[in-house]
Amino acid sequence: MNTPSATIDLRVNNVTVGYPNGNIALQDATFHLDAGCICALVGVNGSGKSTLFKAIMGFVKPIRGEVLIAGEPVRAALKRNLVAYVPQSEEVDWSFPVSVWDVVLMGRYGYMNFLRISGAEDRRIALESLERVGMAEFRERQIGELSGGQRKRVFLARALAQRSRVILLDEPFTGVDVQTEGTIINLLRELRSAGHIILVSTHNLGSVPEFCDQVVLVNRTVLAFGPTAEIYTEANLSRAFGGTLRHFRFDESTVQKHDGRNVTVLTDEERPLVFGKGGHLEYGQRAGHERVVEQRAEPDDEP
Amino acid sequence: MIDTLLLPFQYEYMLKAIFVSSLVGAVCAFLSCFITLKGWSLMGDALSHSVVPGVAVAYQLDWPFAAGAFVTGLLAAVGMGFVKAKTRLREDAVIGVVFTSFFALGLLLISLFPARVDLRSIVFGNILGISDPDILQVIIISVVTLIVLGLKWNDLRLFCFDPNQARALGINTTVLHYTLLTLLSATAVAALQTVGACLVVAMLVTPGATAYLLTDRFGPMIGIAVSMGVGSSLAGAYASYFFDGSTGGCIVTLQSALFVIALVFGPKHGLLAARARRRAIPAT
Repeated sequence: MNTPSATIDLRVNNVTVGYPNGNIALQDATFHLDAGCICALVGVNGSGKSTLFKAIMGFVKPIRGEVLIAGEPVRAALKRNLVAYVPQSEEVDWSFPVSVWDVVLMGRYGYMNFLRISGAEDRRIALESLERVGMAEFRERQIGELSGGQRKRVFLARALAQRSRVILLDEPFTGVDVQTEGTIINLLRELRSAGHIILVSTHNLGSVPEFCDQVVLVNRTVLAFGPTAEIYTEANLSRAFGGTLRHFRFDESTVQKHDGRNVTVLTDEERPLVFGKGGHLEYGQRAGHERVVEQRAEPDDEP
Repeated sequence: MIDTLLLPFQYEYMLKAIFVSSLVGAVCAFLSCFITLKGWSLMGDALSHSVVPGVAVAYQLDWPFAAGAFVTGLLAAVGMGFVKAKTRLREDAVIGVVFTSFFALGLLLISLFPARVDLRSIVFGNILGISDPDILQVIIISVVTLIVLGLKWNDLRLFCFDPNQARALGINTTVLHYTLLTLLSATAVAALQTVGACLVVAMLVTPGATAYLLTDRFGPMIGIAVSMGVGSSLAGAYASYFFDGSTGGCIVTLQSALFVIALVFGPKHGLLAARARRRAIPAT
């Protein structure tokens, strides 16, 4: 069943998650994703974003509601190796005595026998996955000897080696150089074309419109979900972040008209999220968004 | 000279002591790799003290000591899990309260029935006077532990390294958690015979900690730890004949000495190597 041709979907139906102390972390969260998408899970810290992640992975059991992956409950889906997970860098013990090769093979454990002895097929897929992220030459290294970007790519290779149709990434761009960010985004696009469901939890708002075609906005529940262009609006983001975001409004700023569009925006590590005059999304690169540029071109504007 | 050096081997009790110590040393060292990497060292200390009331009761009722020890060890582990889940106390406080309660109860029981068990042999170990049924129990525990670790070490390593990945693969981490906890209790019971309740934690932590300072690979880490566990137990038990000193004390002192050597002279993570690296950085 676990072949690229089989379609897959992810359905989160009215999921409510509570903790033993009685706090409700997430209430009546509902969204669904179909095969071949990259979806951003966006929300502030404490919004229940990571709880939703955990519910999809089956780490926490919902009080009410259900998560269905390819129509099956999470437990069954995990047993079929349908879900892979790329952890946040902070969660990994980088001084643990394992090599890059050991880590990637861990993605194959679900296919191995009781003793977890790797077969030729496991090793072939592990090597292929490492080559795909450009880390094959580092396979004998201890994981702590790698740079932030390389570390992330190793764990991505592990998810690839797992051959899962649903891949969850937790803050994939934290502590990652721009080049690796590009590599990761390209890889995610390839996976989307192959019909995978990619779910990315991120607080890097600016990068979301660059590569995510779907968005789920979370604040104690799912506020909105759907195509990025429709859902990722100023109004929705204000609801999701409830005034915790810093704004820079050009019409209220000291930026003058005669400066034209020559404004430099610098942010710390994260890409800035820029909305245009009518509240539409602005992109950092024109490439791939020619249609958007055309639509918004005004007669006196340069092409 | 040679005759003197071979003298300990002429006594059956010395041969038994050396054999049992090395076996326990090997098993504890193997397990210590997982314990140190999982961050369960304090748990090892707690369990090794919590088995004492079980041992006291088992001797009183003529049960195998391992059975009693095992029951109270697991009771303590479950108790700690319960208190931690139901209160807002931090883990170290929970462990501290629970294991001292068990240990105190053990001391009380032993003092109430002094004829059946000797307090000293439980707290400080009595490997030279170990009885044959006790040796059999240690052998059974060791063999079972070695088989489980040998078969499931990949899963246990994954559980220590990245439990979320283990869950994502559909592996039951609760089972792994209790497997490791059970192995820890069982080896604590076995080690109790050799070095006593007070020093069990050394056998369960020092070899793994030392090996961790010396290597960045899991396989070599196990190799180093087990060699160290066996070597120090062999040498410690043998040497204690000449010193006429505590066997447990000899073994653990040897292990501590090896730890200090690794700490100072370790090729990559040792203090001297770190200092050399700092020196090598050009002044800015």
